[in-house]
Amino acid sequence: MNLLAVSDVVTGYGPTIVNRGVSLTLGEGEIVTILGPNGAGKSTLLKAIAGLIRPRSGSISFDGTEVTGLAADVMARRGVVLVPEGRKIFVDMTVEENLRLGAYARRDDAAVETDFATMLAFFPILATKRRDKGGSLSGGQQQMLAIARGLMTRPRVLLLDEPSLGLSPLLVKEIKAIILGIGERFGASVLLVEQNAGLALSVASRGYLMQNGRIVVSGAIAELRDMSLMRELYLGGVTGATV
Amino acid sequence: MRAVDIFIQQILNGLSIASVITLIAIGVTLIFGLTGIINFAHGEFLMIGGIVTWLAVSAGLGFPLAVVLAILAVGLMGYILERGLFRFTLERPTNGFIVSLGLIVVLQHVVVLFWNPNQKSIPRPLTTVWEVGGVRIASVRVMVIAITIAVVALSFRMITASRYGRALRASVEDRDTAALMGIPVRRYITGVFVLGSALAGLGGALLIALFPITPFTGGTMVMKGFAVALIGGLGNIYGAVAAGLILGIVEGFSAGYGFSQWTDAYSFALMILVLIVRPHGLFGGTSGPRMAS
Repeated sequence: MNLLAVSDVVTGYGPTIVNRGVSLTLGEGEIVTILGPNGAGKSTLLKAIAGLIRPRSGSISFDGTEVTGLAADVMARRGVVLVPEGRKIFVDMTVEENLRLGAYARRDDAAVETDFATMLAFFPILATKRRDKGGSLSGGQQQMLAIARGLMTRPRVLLLDEPSLGLSPLLVKEIKAIILGIGERFGASVLLVEQNAGLALSVASRGYLMQNGRIVVSGAIAELRDMSLMRELYLGGVTGATV
Repeated sequence: MRAVDIFIQQILNGLSIASVITLIAIGVTLIFGLTGIINFAHGEFLMIGGIVTWLAVSAGLGFPLAVVLAILAVGLMGYILERGLFRFTLERPTNGFIVSLGLIVVLQHVVVLFWNPNQKSIPRPLTTVWEVGGVRIASVRVMVIAITIAVVALSFRMITASRYGRALRASVEDRDTAALMGIPVRRYITGVFVLGSALAGLGGALLIALFPITPFTGGTMVMKGFAVALIGGLGNIYGAVAAGLILGIVEGFSAGYGFSQWTDAYSFALMILVLIVRPHGLFGGTSGPRMAS
């Protein structure tokens, strides 16, 4: 059964329609990517799944339960967590405080401490910078912190929005290793939105190509890679396809 | 009396009034930081705290119990107003500001309607005046300052050390991202209204312990509270407390050196000066919540 199922979701801001009937699924333990050019509606779809915006129509179900229109804090407590585009670190708070905020809704204090130690081990840079303000970190460090903070919620579905944005190729490689480790180390399924097709194609097992708010192609990664349409629409662009 | 004695006495006077203003400023700055709403009716919350204290003391209750009643009553009022009015303005904080302007008129006139527009006062809860080396110190002023320090210290402790405080600061910094952490931001908004109102209720109780009040006392007090919040940086609770302290010293100093007729102008002069030099306040504020993009 699908852990997350989005069906026929329409989103928009004011008079603008962004997603025009999007359907997709994410299975337990899967890493699935949504590819597409800037402005295709990928981030908006993630926000709708995470509960930051309410879909105009369509439905979203998680773990067999209808969750359409639930608020973001409720979704986070249920286990669907968005690591937003641009990291959105709490800049005035320390690295440790940022991480502990991720555990806000949890009551299993002992497990939180274990997870906290795990994060510092999994992201060594965060251990070094533990007492530094979030705002003093570099872009790459902030991205690590944002992912770690998201993992501290103990998500079952982690929605990653452009984790490679603005990062050097070396850091993108590090992010790639982290995404691949999320499933086995933290037991979360990942829905990844990326403009860096190289990164997305190298970590995901399935993918969707979104254009103008619609899914135009979907399939296994190997199929997507070979698809000429995909190449025309997307990979012919500027984003580096090598990771 | 030596000049230095007068000076100390005036500083004490300045600080006791500044205590009340700081209690307003904390509420104003917290509510703005989380919701973007500038609640100008906060002065009326303070006034109602004073009225409740006056009613309780007039009914024969002791001052400490009256203070508790004022805190509870105004806190409850804050809860009702947030649930009944302000929560509908969260998407457009300017509407919340306009609602607060309307509330000023309503709250003032409800009080006038039931308890007439005349001055109200209570007997001083502490009448002792200490003489320390020529300096006369009214114990009631020390009480006001001490209670304020205790409450502010407790609030700081809650905000810096507890998980609720951490979540509150996160919500002030970025409401959407806080929600992504599972923080029920709406409940924090209600909580901040209740806390801010309760502090205003306390401020009103302390104010009437110092001076008589009228149903129209709220106006000047909220203007000063707002000035203090701006000087400290809107949304910055530490800034509000520091600016309140500065204002107390400046007002006391000016009164002690013969410019007392200008006392009310200093907070505003200071505000204008600070805003020219540092538009985000002395200690840096927020520009209100980031709206969903």
